[in-house]
Amino acid sequence: MISELDKKIIGLIQGDLPLETRPFASMAEIAGVNEDQFIRCVEDLRKRGVLRRFGATLSHYKSGFRANAMVAWIVPDERVDKVGRLFSSFKEVTHCYQRNAQNDWPYNLFTMVHGSSRDQCFRIAEKMADSACINEYILLFSEKEFKKTSMKYF
Amino acid sequence: MIDDTDKKILNEIQSFFPVASRPFLEIGMRLDLSEDEVLERIKRMKSNGIIRRIGGNFNSRGLNFTSTLCAAKVPEEKLDHFVEAVNRYPGVTHNYLRNHAYNVWFTFIAEDMAFIDSALRDISIETGVKEILNLPAVRTFKIKVDFAL
Repeated sequence: MISELDKKIIGLIQGDLPLETRPFASMAEIAGVNEDQFIRCVEDLRKRGVLRRFGATLSHYKSGFRANAMVAWIVPDERVDKVGRLFSSFKEVTHCYQRNAQNDWPYNLFTMVHGSSRDQCFRIAEKMADSACINEYILLFSEKEFKKTSMKYF
Repeated sequence: MIDDTDKKILNEIQSFFPVASRPFLEIGMRLDLSEDEVLERIKRMKSNGIIRRIGGNFNSRGLNFTSTLCAAKVPEEKLDHFVEAVNRYPGVTHNYLRNHAYNVWFTFIAEDMAFIDSALRDISIETGVKEILNLPAVRTFKIKVDFAL
């Protein structure tokens, strides 16, 4: 279960780390515990799988990955398991999810692909398509960012 | 804009950021740099926007939250209003215009799906946009946010 202290700590580390010599000491002070307790609690959240990752989030664009495409695929249900694993093995794929097709949206496997250009994204998708013998897919490029933030849970 | 030392630091701090008393000292020890140099370089990359943020990323399900991906068909003249209505929700963390009839794609995190369903109904009523898909993941194969530089 998530304790009150967990919530306080999540509330602090979901934001931005202060760039100073002992950043966790300042956050610990706000949480009302000492630095050691704070660090142990963060490690504990990680062990429990609540904290997926602690670290830097980069601007894709500024780090050279100028194009990203959401590639959506139509994969027969009985092949989703294998194809999902196969696509996940591509280093250019950062996210891979199965979602249910619905209404006029027939695509059921989603991959985020990052590349240096749109052309490169097309080439990566083609390579993926060939490897899985799946030929029904589309690339949706982001044309404008309306919002990009991180979740504030508590 | 960034040199090899910066790249080494970035590769180190995406997934192996030390949660320790003197994290920048530890990074420096791994890379044979001084604590001050690590801190100064990270500050610079933060201010020029290469680093968006340093912090925790959570498994929303582990916190008893649920998440989904939504897509909507929004006509040009309703776009501003729709985006404003959607972005008002703090649980909407990413929202993009994409090249498809379903042109607005956003992620939504909330305590339960009932909240999200009801928010989507409210957004639809307020903006007149009727075609909104709610596409929760039924299976997660991969989430990998590191970029090897």
